[in-house]
Amino acid sequence: MERLLLRNIDKENSHTIEVYLKNGGYQSFRKALKEMSPEDVVEEVKLSGLRGRGGAGFPTGMKWEFAAADLKEPKFFVCNADEGEPCTFKDRIIIEKDPHALIEGMLIGAYATGCRYGYIYLRGEYPIGRKILERAIAEAYEKGFLGENILGTDFSFDLYVHSGAGAYICGEETALIESLEGKRGEPRIKPPFPVNAGYLWKPTVVNNVETLANIPLIIERGGKWYSGIGSPDCPGPKLYPISGKVKRPGVYELPMGTPLSEIIYEHAGGIVQDRKLKAVFPGGASSSVLTAEEIDVPMDFPSLAKAGTMLGSGAIMVLDETDCIVKAALRLIEFFRHESCGKCTPCREGTDWLVRIMRRIEEGEGSEEDLDVILSVSETMENSFCGLGMAAHNPVASSVRKFREEFLTHIKLGRCPYRRG
Amino acid sequence: MTLSEFREEVKRLKESGKYPELKSYLLPALWIAEKNFPAITHDVMRIVAEELSVPLVEVEEVARFYAMFHTEKKGKYVIRVCTNLSCMLRGGEEVLSELCRLLNIKPGEITTDGLFTVEEYECMGLCDGAPAITVNEDRYTNVKVEELPQILKKYGWKG
Repeated sequence: MERLLLRNIDKENSHTIEVYLKNGGYQSFRKALKEMSPEDVVEEVKLSGLRGRGGAGFPTGMKWEFAAADLKEPKFFVCNADEGEPCTFKDRIIIEKDPHALIEGMLIGAYATGCRYGYIYLRGEYPIGRKILERAIAEAYEKGFLGENILGTDFSFDLYVHSGAGAYICGEETALIESLEGKRGEPRIKPPFPVNAGYLWKPTVVNNVETLANIPLIIERGGKWYSGIGSPDCPGPKLYPISGKVKRPGVYELPMGTPLSEIIYEHAGGIVQDRKLKAVFPGGASSSVLTAEEIDVPMDFPSLAKAGTMLGSGAIMVLDETDCIVKAALRLIEFFRHESCGKCTPCREGTDWLVRIMRRIEEGEGSEEDLDVILSVSETMENSFCGLGMAAHNPVASSVRKFREEFLTHIKLGRCPYRRG
Repeated sequence: MTLSEFREEVKRLKESGKYPELKSYLLPALWIAEKNFPAITHDVMRIVAEELSVPLVEVEEVARFYAMFHTEKKGKYVIRVCTNLSCMLRGGEEVLSELCRLLNIKPGEITTDGLFTVEEYECMGLCDGAPAITVNEDRYTNVKVEELPQILKKYGWKG
């Protein structure tokens, strides 16, 4: 497939505005601003069928339509660059290698929805990205793509980088907004949704980095063209970051719906030392695990949901036959315990108990009843306040369901069978 | 940085006009503190509270919420070692224990010369180069245990 989202990344100095402009950069924004009404832009994005790439998969055009319809002023356009889902590093590639594609996507979105100010909420762990984005923004101001009366029109847009400081929960859009407002990153109740009451309770569009990088393409070549790529019900190119026990970890751009097995064996080169594949978390740390028999699934939102897991951020984590599933799931739930904001009980207590139980199983001190307790805690966590708690138990509960024998081996042996030494 | 220089920095930050209300400057102000002080102490927080017209307790709860802000003294160099799944599968835990052995500290502690803090850290998005560590803003990927002394020496480790 022709590289679309990654079309610029191999060019020398791809992060500079000179290189971006030389390759047709900001032409889509110019076209939107000069030849299209904001309504036309929203329609084009709706026609494309683009669904958000942050994890939830919400239709982008629809989000923009809601924001455009809200007349409260001022409106804010926020890019969610708080890429914190473990083993997700796709947005980092765009931020560091093609920051102007992100800025152009934001400009088009801000024009379509009537937003006056923008923030890129960047995770604190990306200091290199911060420098690149700040430089790119300065370049865009210098060339007249940002600021007042852009390109001689009455459209004005100011854009800033806002650094997070190490909190996974801030990837959740309402927690992100709280954090932008200078508070602890605790999620808000929805509704109202950010499109109507976001930053400072004003209409706020929150879009993921990869989502926004698609926008210039859609405006350049048309929503109809875009909708023909990949899965018909959630089309477009998709960035798949793959890591763990594959020969070539990295970010692969492929049509949405590319089979998981193809990504692992063709693009990422298969399993290290040609070992057997054991398990895959197909959509980040909050996705349910898939076994080696389940990897022929198309990597898109509906197909993975049907397979009992989720696409999430599209981050693929691969375990081979020498890896312990109990230890892997334990590490993921330790992560969620650390990142739970503590606001609601099911998540705060559930992640803590799951860590304790999983740890004793891994240490060889678990019992068979523990497995039932895990599944019962997991069910309770479905009632958490936000998506973090609702999904945090997935890797643990699915591991118990699909690898029960391995858990029982730990319990019977009184130790982890994979531990060396 | 002295406390009065810090106050001037926060004043300058406010003048940037980046946010439409004062409280939103809280994280950027704490970032200035994080980069210029060994710890975000109550004295530092008080300046932020005064300049942004925010109650001190609200500054403190934010400073303590985010993993990258240090309210306890940190080393000149903060070494973050990822042990999340992809790094764990590729030896992140061994990197962490070797670093702690070399520096003779436990995760979260500071070396006696005040040079290093080692932290077991969550995913930093460097999974294609697992195992990964960062030293302040520098990043190291595909780290091998035997390379660690060399990396440390760049930051003044006498080992």
